[in-house]
Amino acid sequence: MIYTFDDIVISGFSAVTAAGNGIEAVLELLRSGRDALSPVPDDVPGGNGQRWGKALGFKASDFMPPLKARKLDRCSQFAVGASGLALKDAGIDPKEIIPERIGIALGCGFGGVANSAEFLGGYFKGGVEGLAPVLFPNTVSNAPASNASIEHGLKGPNVTLVQRFCSAESAFVMACRFIAEGRADVMLTGGADDLTPLMITGFDATGQLRRYAACFGEGSGILVLESAAHAARRNAPVKATVETVAAIGLFPAGHERDGADRLFSGAEQCDLISLSGIVGDAPPLMERVGGRAVTDIAPVLGRSLAMGGTAMATLLASLKPGHQGLHLAASPEGPYYAIRFTGGATKASDPRDPGKV
Amino acid sequence: MVKKRVVITGLGVFCGAGKNVAQFSGALLNGESGIGPLDLFDVSAFPARIGCQVKGYDPLDHFDRKTARKLSRADQFGLIAAREALADSGMAGHYSPFDMGVSMGGGAAGMFQSEQWLRSLLAGEKAAPVLLRGVLPDKTATEIARACNLAGYQGTVTTACSSSATAIGWGAELVATGQQRAVVAGGSDTLSLLTFGGFNSLKVVDPEPCSPFSLGRQGISLGEGAAFLVLEGEDDALARGARVYGAVLGYALAGEAYHMTAPEPTGSTAARVMGNAIAVAGIDSGRVGWVNAHGTGTPLNDVVESNAMKLVFGERAPSVPLISTKAMTGHCLGAAGAIEALATVIALNHRMIPQTLNFRGRDPECYLDYCHEGKRPCEAGIAMSNSFAFGGNITSLVLGL
Repeated sequence: MIYTFDDIVISGFSAVTAAGNGIEAVLELLRSGRDALSPVPDDVPGGNGQRWGKALGFKASDFMPPLKARKLDRCSQFAVGASGLALKDAGIDPKEIIPERIGIALGCGFGGVANSAEFLGGYFKGGVEGLAPVLFPNTVSNAPASNASIEHGLKGPNVTLVQRFCSAESAFVMACRFIAEGRADVMLTGGADDLTPLMITGFDATGQLRRYAACFGEGSGILVLESAAHAARRNAPVKATVETVAAIGLFPAGHERDGADRLFSGAEQCDLISLSGIVGDAPPLMERVGGRAVTDIAPVLGRSLAMGGTAMATLLASLKPGHQGLHLAASPEGPYYAIRFTGGATKASDPRDPGKV
Repeated sequence: MVKKRVVITGLGVFCGAGKNVAQFSGALLNGESGIGPLDLFDVSAFPARIGCQVKGYDPLDHFDRKTARKLSRADQFGLIAAREALADSGMAGHYSPFDMGVSMGGGAAGMFQSEQWLRSLLAGEKAAPVLLRGVLPDKTATEIARACNLAGYQGTVTTACSSSATAIGWGAELVATGQQRAVVAGGSDTLSLLTFGGFNSLKVVDPEPCSPFSLGRQGISLGEGAAFLVLEGEDDALARGARVYGAVLGYALAGEAYHMTAPEPTGSTAARVMGNAIAVAGIDSGRVGWVNAHGTGTPLNDVVESNAMKLVFGERAPSVPLISTKAMTGHCLGAAGAIEALATVIALNHRMIPQTLNFRGRDPECYLDYCHEGKRPCEAGIAMSNSFAFGGNITSLVLGL
């Protein structure tokens, strides 16, 4: 699968992460050579000696009234916060856009699991009387996207996807198609994840703390996609242009080269590569990356299933106008994604000034 | 971009109302509900103790012991239904693995097993880690891709009760745009304490088998299962001589941005989505013969959906039957959209409109034709299937012969 786009721009992005609020906090962390991982508390079963990328500085009340925040699960709070920051970065007041023309496609990994565990815990400890109905609505993994849509008034296409470490990328391609098909003018897309002590215990039980769940993280990274025409009408700042989205589900034995060729089609000249998920453990991909410049947020923020939103935002924030960026994402058993961007708005066919459409 | 016409060349289902397409078709055509007592877990403490469970299920009838141990109940159901659909399509060997994908919708997924791990953990007992392997619904898609060598698109929609309807619409989009030559699209979900206790805590589970659009209805009956459709471009399907059951003509989706659990009462967003799906299909609404409703049987949903019908079809609304197959299958949550799409395709092929079972009396707020009195012959070749979800996610599919 390889979709080519010629009319979708990115007008804003942001993130809430262990580094803090906003993508600049991530860039500063990367420049510093430090990381934002903190020790997992000693009282977390299975977490002894582990570190995690908890967004310790995130306060939901910075983004919404405290009473409203208390009704939302933490993953929804991340999504609402990051969406608001991304909209602001794009210069969009949703009230000034036809609500049916702005939507959200979000990748969400373990969203809903925290509320599910708390809800079930009430039952296991107290029987039917222990069930807390207020917890149940946010046990669904589409709660973050839905709460973001309610908070920001997004009545267009609305979807949540999960597919291993490529959850945000799965959402990204749908968002692009919704704009390309004319279903929406603006789409928020990216990922949201939260991380709880119980998840650390589960990762430990399944052996994943010694593998892909080591130094897990949480947060939300959101991009604002827009049709080029819509961005031009409102004289929006254009941060980048979407070129292609390629994906394969798995590398069938004996077809590894064919699979890699499909992913890297057109990506020979890219200037900067973003690594997401477990790309570093995928030899067919790393062989193609070679010695090219890369950005990798996992070592500093922690890895998570929908980390692609933050990884793409970080790539785009680092991409110079006219330069080619490639976002790679991989999961242990597939799928694999390669998304190409051009920085700024310097397409040859576009006579307008770089940085503006 | 000129889009391909997307046809359905394979069907597969495994649910409480039928463990294959033949059984399911029989239940659908004969008005037989699978709703009954549950024994998957202890429900004695709940006011409602029924549902549409896959009864008499032994994983070893379908998988070897080692494989079964690694798969959640949802993974197993999904694999069984997807394999039936693929075998039915006769597609094997016709396409490159990279040209075949899987698009599925999931919900609580492996929670049935994962909650057993949590219960043991909280009780201070040793918990088998393997119970956690299917905690997320994406594993089902990964297992289907691996078992069936589908190396193309692999994705899982998780918008609760509209998941698998969206997965079918998106799978059709991948084929229509030539990105995939075939997509196995559908969904899988199973009963769990989480959803059974959750809906009971919200007091939206009917203690009797659910009775959509009826007077005195009290809510849903939960169900479980999986259903998959094989989607191909019409050109490819005809070239290889495939049997064609019908076509995915269009779909639309939106978020209400209204409330996490309550539908917007006028039905305006649902009507907008239905109207958009009809527009995407490129047909006049007059060609829609009937609608397979979300039709949960909750007091609120059924009124809102009836309101939406009136907004979409206007004066014609009373003559467009709005039926619900949930009284037969229960509400299968993440798999509901796929099971209902499959039911719609089967009914279209039999030129009939299914009956809405368990009628208790006419509700003045549900003023349309719901086929409560029995199935009905229908020459229309196009029908719609609606799916609404927590969070205000709404998806409508337009399906045709």
